[in-house]
Amino acid sequence: MRTRILEAAYACVARWGLAKTSVEDAAREAGVSRATVYRHFPGGKDELLAGVVDFEVLRFFGRLAEAVQGSTNLIEVTEASLEFAHRSLEEHVVLHQVLRSEPQLLVPRITDATNRLHPVVRQFLEPYVAAEAASGRLRPGLDPRMAADYVARMALSYANAAGRWDLGDREQVRTLARLVLGGVVTVPSSR
Amino acid sequence: MTAAAPAQPAAASSQEERILDAALVCIARWGLTKTGLDDVAREAGVSRATVYRAFPGGKDAVTEAVARTELARFFAAVGGQLAAADTLEDALTSGITEAGARIASHGALRTVVSFEPEEILPLLAFGRMDQVLAVCTAFAAPHLARFLDQATAAQVAEWAARVVVSYSSWPSVDVDLTDERSVRRLVRQLFLPALATSGSTP
Repeated sequence: MRTRILEAAYACVARWGLAKTSVEDAAREAGVSRATVYRHFPGGKDELLAGVVDFEVLRFFGRLAEAVQGSTNLIEVTEASLEFAHRSLEEHVVLHQVLRSEPQLLVPRITDATNRLHPVVRQFLEPYVAAEAASGRLRPGLDPRMAADYVARMALSYANAAGRWDLGDREQVRTLARLVLGGVVTVPSSR
Repeated sequence: MTAAAPAQPAAASSQEERILDAALVCIARWGLTKTGLDDVAREAGVSRATVYRAFPGGKDAVTEAVARTELARFFAAVGGQLAAADTLEDALTSGITEAGARIASHGALRTVVSFEPEEILPLLAFGRMDQVLAVCTAFAAPHLARFLDQATAAQVAEWAARVVVSYSSWPSVDVDLTDERSVRRLVRQLFLPALATSGSTP
């Protein structure tokens, strides 16, 4: 039921934006009563909208985890993550629409969700770092936990804003990953 | 020597400075939203009319001037560190430490981030963050180009800016940007080996 309400609320946000979406709209869209929505989101509209953003961010990372499944090492998983994040953020019509019209309402919520996700991304990367350590490619003296934390920070940063890089260009993604991870793992000089 | 200098502009600019310093104190204490021109005038020890004379645009103009002045101070301090460095390691270490320490100790910034994140976070998201990175890169890259080729200098300047933003925004148990030794370790471990590697590839 929670998921159904969140999906309905998301549809409303896509249509009307964050400010104009009400608990009543979400209830109607989901085909449930207002009381049902309040039972799942006692905080009302605020909690519902925070839930929608969380839900979307989680869905994004769920798809990302699937997209990078075939990666065998830290460089590969970073490259695949950046390419996936670039593609799906670029194509996310609702995100860009709300970002344009209501950045003040949206961004703190995304930041909130991402802050909570930072440890999740780090944990996701830890096995890759451990594997690099086991195969002797992790740079000596580097604490694996710190390394995973750092890579998570950089992945989130470049996914958030590509800056001077074109993450749609595979060669650039390769160069970027080798630059930013060059201190974490020893990079083979050629493919 | 100074007698020939016109007194008016000097007085006006020190008056403006005083108002901006007062605004900074008020923002640190109450945040952006709750700070009114009355508060700023009282803190500066001037009348409301004086504030309006200096900043005819009112509160928005004061806020904008505060942001502009603080950014200029920030870049001047970081630039001073970058210019004084003799090696790439020193440039990155002193530049990142200066930036990290200034962000951490900035009272007004801390208040806004803690209590009015909606006023500042949009700057760090998506397209707006691209602009922030572009400004930081354009500023720092020429300094780093003393030690690196132009293209790499720009890449590393942007990379360092991301490190500053990330570790300033999310606390870390591993890295303390206000501690020079901690930053030097980060630069030695994460930046320098990568640059030695990429420098050796054709």
